[in-house]
Amino acid sequence: MKAASHRIRFLAGVALGTAVGLSLSWVLLRATRRDLAGERDRREAIISVQALADLLQKVGFSSTRVGQAVSAWQAQTPAGTVARIVAIAGAQLVASTDPADRGARETPRRLSREEKPLYDQGQRIRAAVATNRDEGGARKAEIEIDELASGSLALAAPVESGGTLSGFLAVQIPRTAQEPGGNGGLAALLLAAAIAVFAAFAWFVGERRLPLAAGATVCLAGALLVHANAAVRTVREELRAADEAVAAYATAQGRQAGEVLASLQVPVDPPLAPASWDTDEVRRPRRLIGEDGHPNEVALAGRVARASFEATRALFGVAAVSLLLLLVSGFGGFSRAGHELVEHRQAYLYIAPAMIGLLILVFFPFFYGITLSFTDSNLYNTNRSIAETWIGLRNYGDVLGDFGFIQRTQGGGFVINYLNFYWTLLFTILWTVSNVSFGVVVGLALALILNTRDLALRPVYRVLLILPWAMPNYITSLIWKGMFHQQFGVVNQFLGIFGISPIAWFETVGTSFFTAFPTNGWLSFPFMMVVSLGALQSIPAELYEAARVDGATRWQQFKAITLPSIRPALVPAIIISVVWTFNMFNVVYLVTAGEPGGSTEILITQAYKFAFQRYRYGYAAAYSTVIFFILLVYGVIQNRVSKATEAA
Amino acid sequence: MMLRGLAALALAALALLVPSEGRAADLVVWHAYRAEEKAALEKVVAAYNARQKAVHVTTLAVPYDAFADKITAAVPRGRGPDIFIYAQDRLGGWIEAGNTVESIDFFVDQPTKDRFIPTTLEAMTYRGSVWGLPLNYKVITMLYNKKLVPTPPKTSTELVAIAKKLSDPASGRFGLAYAYNDYYYHAALQNAFGGRVFDAAGQPVLNSPEDVMALELLMRWVEKDRILPAEPSTALITSLFNEGKAAMVFNGPWFLGEIAREVDYGLALLPTITEAGGKPMRPWMTVEGVCVTAPSKQKDQAYEFAKYLTDVEASKVMAVEGRQSPANKAVYSDPKVGEDPMLKAFRAQVEVAVPMPNVPEMTMVWSPATTAMNAVTKKSLSPKQAVDNAQKAVARDAAELRKKP
Repeated sequence: MKAASHRIRFLAGVALGTAVGLSLSWVLLRATRRDLAGERDRREAIISVQALADLLQKVGFSSTRVGQAVSAWQAQTPAGTVARIVAIAGAQLVASTDPADRGARETPRRLSREEKPLYDQGQRIRAAVATNRDEGGARKAEIEIDELASGSLALAAPVESGGTLSGFLAVQIPRTAQEPGGNGGLAALLLAAAIAVFAAFAWFVGERRLPLAAGATVCLAGALLVHANAAVRTVREELRAADEAVAAYATAQGRQAGEVLASLQVPVDPPLAPASWDTDEVRRPRRLIGEDGHPNEVALAGRVARASFEATRALFGVAAVSLLLLLVSGFGGFSRAGHELVEHRQAYLYIAPAMIGLLILVFFPFFYGITLSFTDSNLYNTNRSIAETWIGLRNYGDVLGDFGFIQRTQGGGFVINYLNFYWTLLFTILWTVSNVSFGVVVGLALALILNTRDLALRPVYRVLLILPWAMPNYITSLIWKGMFHQQFGVVNQFLGIFGISPIAWFETVGTSFFTAFPTNGWLSFPFMMVVSLGALQSIPAELYEAARVDGATRWQQFKAITLPSIRPALVPAIIISVVWTFNMFNVVYLVTAGEPGGSTEILITQAYKFAFQRYRYGYAAAYSTVIFFILLVYGVIQNRVSKATEAA
Repeated sequence: MMLRGLAALALAALALLVPSEGRAADLVVWHAYRAEEKAALEKVVAAYNARQKAVHVTTLAVPYDAFADKITAAVPRGRGPDIFIYAQDRLGGWIEAGNTVESIDFFVDQPTKDRFIPTTLEAMTYRGSVWGLPLNYKVITMLYNKKLVPTPPKTSTELVAIAKKLSDPASGRFGLAYAYNDYYYHAALQNAFGGRVFDAAGQPVLNSPEDVMALELLMRWVEKDRILPAEPSTALITSLFNEGKAAMVFNGPWFLGEIAREVDYGLALLPTITEAGGKPMRPWMTVEGVCVTAPSKQKDQAYEFAKYLTDVEASKVMAVEGRQSPANKAVYSDPKVGEDPMLKAFRAQVEVAVPMPNVPEMTMVWSPATTAMNAVTKKSLSPKQAVDNAQKAVARDAAELRKKP
């Protein structure tokens, strides 16, 4: 530990931190520039496609001039563009500029079997347009854009004529913009400079840690700041240039389309509006191009500001990571960790298989669930990546922020909103407290009874009393549910012996609770009994002798000797029981099923219903993370307070 | 020495574990059948393998409980079969999730479409495209105890009259017993009045006036006429019918296996509803379809097998030996199929049946609908209030799902 000097450590820290920070920044910059270029390509491609759709709408979809219009349009697009126009009715290929569609495959013709994907695409677009119209929303993409392996963009868009969807067009456009890189030269230069500057500084300062730390931070910050400035400036300029280019492209396309229509002697009514061709994938205009063919300044300024803000935020994150690395390395974190691993390598090797298993089976699903809770994942967007559906803490806000606990009905009365998180939480706490108390009291009482000396047939009693716990609780829950049937259930018939009229158990909240409560009580007391019995048997009998000699009553003996002695065993059992009962899905789901009207749901069944009946995966993930935190806080507090897991 | 022998043995075992090279054109079919249906399907597959050599079809029986989840999880990742056979109720959800089911619009021609009972094909259609070929249908019909009911009723007035005579709620005897608080069974009554769950644009319309009328009729049967038992669970219905305490039951083909041997039962059409102007009860049909999976590499061949499976030859085997009700129209002209009392009854019933909605939002309907049914039958809410609540819940859930952030 004394061998490596602080200077070396901090120098290594500067090198590592700056290298990591600069490479991450370089990667981010390259990705952003690629995204900008990609977005520009897509916008231009959509403009071309919308221009063609507009052309076809004016020329008339079924006229013979479709082929001419398409060829003329293609002449104005980058070389290598291929366009196919398909009529959905009859799977007809109306026109095509594909060189392969000549001779025997001359259009118009029916699509062949290999062209099924094209037909399916058309059906998908037709369904998307219909869905968006029916739901009044913008959920499904009406223009499909894919990137082909050759780098071209493949787009498909609907063609509407006379208000109905007559067909669609599929276009392949090669990409024209080059793939930009990052400014690697600058990054390398800054890295070398930072290391050199710090080396000189360290030589002067000597072995004092705090000045070294300060100096290292300054070098790192300096290098990252210079790079960040250059990066943000590049992004701003490229965004502006891209917008200008797209605006110019749209104007050019508009002019050329006008020429095509003129050459075909088609009246241009209503006039072409190239700015409206710049739409998103749901065919809503982006309004980024002004009437004069130049970018909309206000919108552009907004976009530039947003882009710089996001870039700056990302770079701050990178800086934080680099700083962390620097400090850890400088203050000896890495060398200590390395020593630790080498010294105890056998121990780490032994736990490695279990750690790997835990990582895959427990930690990965757990963290994936938490990540999912920050997204808006539901049934309809499972094929979108997590980044696209990211909504941050909105799910948590929806879960925890909804205080609409009680609502007023029109009649002036109150009705409780059973879907509300807080109602369900209250009910779950009530459920847990009552069940655990019941289980502990009954279990402890039975254990005390079973613990009497010279009890005959003790093994028989033990086996019988363990049975409820041993049988699968899925089956016993269903049997209990049957026992609470209003007319034919055993419970009501038993009550009938005492003259009590049959109760409709699942009709009100209170009685419904009292169907699940005995079921779970019956299922949980054996566990408590077993734990208590084990603990009771470890209490030495001399203590009771001594207490009896001193004249203590049975109750005093219980309070002073029994309870404290079984506490170390009972308290962990109670913690476990609380967690299990809090999450007792089977009993609540099968016995009450939330009746009446979802009022007897506990948190976990509510989360289940949100996930698998309402298909809102992100919301349900947030719900279950909240449950986890509630139980975590409870467990930690209980543990602290009772020192339950500390060695005696 | 021994270690080396052990190592050799281990290597040999590993070599056996390496899967043998399958034929290039192997079609995998997943299904959830057991017993006779499974045997019938395997017979059809063997016949198909014998008559052509281009592909070899293999089947895999997957347990029913896990089936839908397996399809959802395995198929989009390319680990699923080429074809699977399942009911149409999850179809919408799979289509929206993407990369699960393949649209077969392109392959299906008019003669193929014409060979099916039209409503079964409608069940396999989603947003205008066909997503699978219908294989069989299940629909509820009326079963009656021949000893108690010599001639089954044709209208609801007759039904109530006969049932009243046979009902004695105090001693647990009922003229009619069916799971009326299960929305699936109640749909038969609701559809008779013209009520629907979703309208043509896919919006929920649970609180239409027709739905309210259907509920009012049901309550009349329960309260005034007192011909139905309280809290009718499926176990209760079965035990009542088997003990001869329920004279008539509305139930489906799955019930036939539960009937005790001593009960002499008959099948008849569900009665027409006089209060709805004599219109027939229109139960929901569950259609099992043969779907081609999207990641399959042999969609052409898969479709050819699906076509064979739903053709007359295969349908006859599935009907006679598998005891299914085939969706193929022509197979019923064969006396073995057409004259079988069970198949004949369901064939007659399916003429007035309606396909259950296959849109994904359907799973959100069950819970509020069950709540509404329970509230109405326990008289804690009026029919109008109950369906209004259900409508609000479903509309809210559907809107939450459909909105784009």
